Amino acid sequence: MNTLIWIMAGTLLPWFPLSWIFNKLIASAPGFWAQALAILVFPQLGLLLLIHSGAWQALPVGPDPDLRVVALFTAVFYAFRAASTREVQVWARLMTTSGLALTWLLHGQNLDPLILQSVALSWSIPGALMLVWAGLLKQRMGGAYLGLTGGLATVLPRLSALVTLTALAASATPIFPNFFILLHVVKALPLLWIPGGLLVLLLWGWAVGRFLQDLLFGIYRGELLEDLTVGGTWLGGLVLGLFAVGGIFWGAHG
Amino acid sequence: MEILTIITPFLLVLSAIIIFLFLRSKRRISARVSVIATLVTFFLSLVMLGYYVVAGHSQVVHIGIHWGSIWLDPLSLIMWVFVSGISLLVHMYSVRYMVEEPNYTRFFALLDLMTAIILFMVSAADLVTLLVAWFLVGVVLYFLLGHDTNRPAAGRYAFWTQITYRAGDLPLWFAAFVLIKTYHSISLPVIFAQIQINPDLHAFWGLSIPELVGFLLAFAAFARSAQFLLHGWLPYTMDGPTPVSALMHAGIVNAGGFLFNRFAPVFEYAGGALHMAFIVGLVTAIIGSAMMLIQNDVKRSLGYSTMGQMGFMVMECGVGAFPLAIFHLIAHGFFKGSMFLSAGNVIGEARAHDGVPPDSIYTAIVERRPAKPSRLPWLAAAALTILVPVAVLSLSHFFVSSELLYEQGVIILLFFGWVTGAQALFATHKMTHTNPWRLMGGILESFVLVVIGYTLISHYFGSFLYPHGISQKLYAAASINAFVFDALVIFLAFLFVGGWALTFFADSSGWWDRVDKGRWRGAYLSMYALLSRELYVNDLYARLTRLLLVFSHRLNILLRWC
Repeated sequence: MNTLIWIMAGTLLPWFPLSWIFNKLIASAPGFWAQALAILVFPQLGLLLLIHSGAWQALPVGPDPDLRVVALFTAVFYAFRAASTREVQVWARLMTTSGLALTWLLHGQNLDPLILQSVALSWSIPGALMLVWAGLLKQRMGGAYLGLTGGLATVLPRLSALVTLTALAASATPIFPNFFILLHVVKALPLLWIPGGLLVLLLWGWAVGRFLQDLLFGIYRGELLEDLTVGGTWLGGLVLGLFAVGGIFWGAHG
Repeated sequence: MEILTIITPFLLVLSAIIIFLFLRSKRRISARVSVIATLVTFFLSLVMLGYYVVAGHSQVVHIGIHWGSIWLDPLSLIMWVFVSGISLLVHMYSVRYMVEEPNYTRFFALLDLMTAIILFMVSAADLVTLLVAWFLVGVVLYFLLGHDTNRPAAGRYAFWTQITYRAGDLPLWFAAFVLIKTYHSISLPVIFAQIQINPDLHAFWGLSIPELVGFLLAFAAFARSAQFLLHGWLPYTMDGPTPVSALMHAGIVNAGGFLFNRFAPVFEYAGGALHMAFIVGLVTAIIGSAMMLIQNDVKRSLGYSTMGQMGFMVMECGVGAFPLAIFHLIAHGFFKGSMFLSAGNVIGEARAHDGVPPDSIYTAIVERRPAKPSRLPWLAAAALTILVPVAVLSLSHFFVSSELLYEQGVIILLFFGWVTGAQALFATHKMTHTNPWRLMGGILESFVLVVIGYTLISHYFGSFLYPHGISQKLYAAASINAFVFDALVIFLAFLFVGGWALTFFADSSGWWDRVDKGRWRGAYLSMYALLSRELYVNDLYARLTRLLLVFSHRLNILLRWC
């Protein structure tokens, strides 16, 4: 029973190799709204399963070396894979998987379940938003692959701005909460393990740099596209703004 | 005064938000709001610096509960005035320069945001504020450099800058975590006080905590200040708008020198890190200056000049002359800022006048100048070249503060001043002129003025920045074994004098041409080719990146993108 719980939890709050199933499940959800919902809900279900079954509390106080290796490897591995990805949906899934894996590093710290769920949500929100933007891009361009047409900043300025801000949020840019969570997670690592945690930050920087380069720069040579409405942009901006305010709140209360 | 401290950096955040949200289509008003906000910030910075000079004590102002504190010490206040001053010039220049560019209002909003973030960075009193600001500088700079999204090159070079900055963030994060875990505080004044009490706490690999942190901070500074092997991005930032290049080269790239100074109490106990900084700075200064000399593009040449200057700045930190590095970065900031902002005029001037070297017959007949100008007697020139810089440098330091002459760091700087001064005089001697004594006199006069100015300013500036005498401890930390040091100085002195003598006699007698018979030219061309390819450093990184991307792509295919 215990093994089954760990397998299910590892699938929903992903670590490698079960993260493959997590990604497959999200990719197979019908439509971008369903995918966004799945990426928000699955990690929460995984955490609830761990907490209510008592498996999380049963972990010994202090860090478990095996779990630490698996979590860090998953975060590094998926961040590395995101660097070569130009499909927006895939990029969103891989980056979210990388971030969510870091939640496992908070084991053994006797944290309040609500805090753990907030941490998982902080990684899921940019992923969910990015999946929505990818869906909107797909509606307009027939696909959300950035390798074919560059220069979307000129033709879709409002949608590009939201995609850019979401990509920054996904890669733990201050003042979004992920930045402060990453600080907390890396601080929890033993001194010699800190470079491993920081490698994730470097790979995210690489992934987001390549992503923005493909998204924003170049001369767009495709058909004329309809940008996001002003109301939609304000709504997206409001969600991201509230997320950033959450970051300030998180940071202020350490 | 606390209110003013909070208003000063937040004013520019506020103006950026107002422009972003409400003035996106109002170009003239947004530029005015931006310039006025920067002007007020500059004025407030001056007021606070003046207040410190009168009141004479530092203070920490807390904005947030956990983090977000501002440290009003001489270093922060000097940097506030410098950064807001440079930013004001760049803002005023941009009003007309950028007027035909798209996204004019966004540009000003980003410029305001960047200035505000730098103000927070230089005044951060806790590690979290420092990390946040340090990180955000890289992010905002990316968007400023990539302002023109129609140019793929702008995006490519903005990315190079962003990834190098991110690589440099990692050692700073690591250093911050080492300090937080060791001293259980994020407050910089608290951490520095604890280091003074117990500087020998052991970390690992045989290093003490200050030594480990010192090495990590030095690496973070190297990435920000484009030191050799982490320099590839700097010359290519020219692809951004000229005002951004000016802000970049005059202000942002100096962050390395600032970081050394902010963590001066750590470097007091990190001699090894200072020695490393000296070597890296020296190599960067030589390579940056060499690359500058072979450029045929004005802005690229300025970019490599900045690399060389950053090398000098880090080298100054490496010898323990921390205040001099701050003085250097301010002087270089204004100098390089003005060079960038006037680069367009220089290019226009070059187009108007072709710059073909003068022909001796033409100058004699048309310009009515003597065809056979003369030089100084070689013995007089040699005496002036070697002895005058020694006398001027030593006497100026002796009159300001005689005990400084016993510090190794000061001797290195004196030696460096002597070599560069002598090289300038030597080059002057090689120039032909109708009145060589007048030419040499003019150069000597300038040299004396520069040296006295430098000595006085660096000494009093040092006393202002570090009123509690940390400067002497930093010199001591950077020192090496006295015998090795003296032997090295004597050896290098003979090497330089020998080199000058050899060059002089080879030039004047034609001996070198007879011996060499063009063989040296092959080596010279190889060196030129190597430098023109930037020592293949960028090619190496590009190749490595491609390999990693191919590997990542294959992994994705293998795992079906899941």
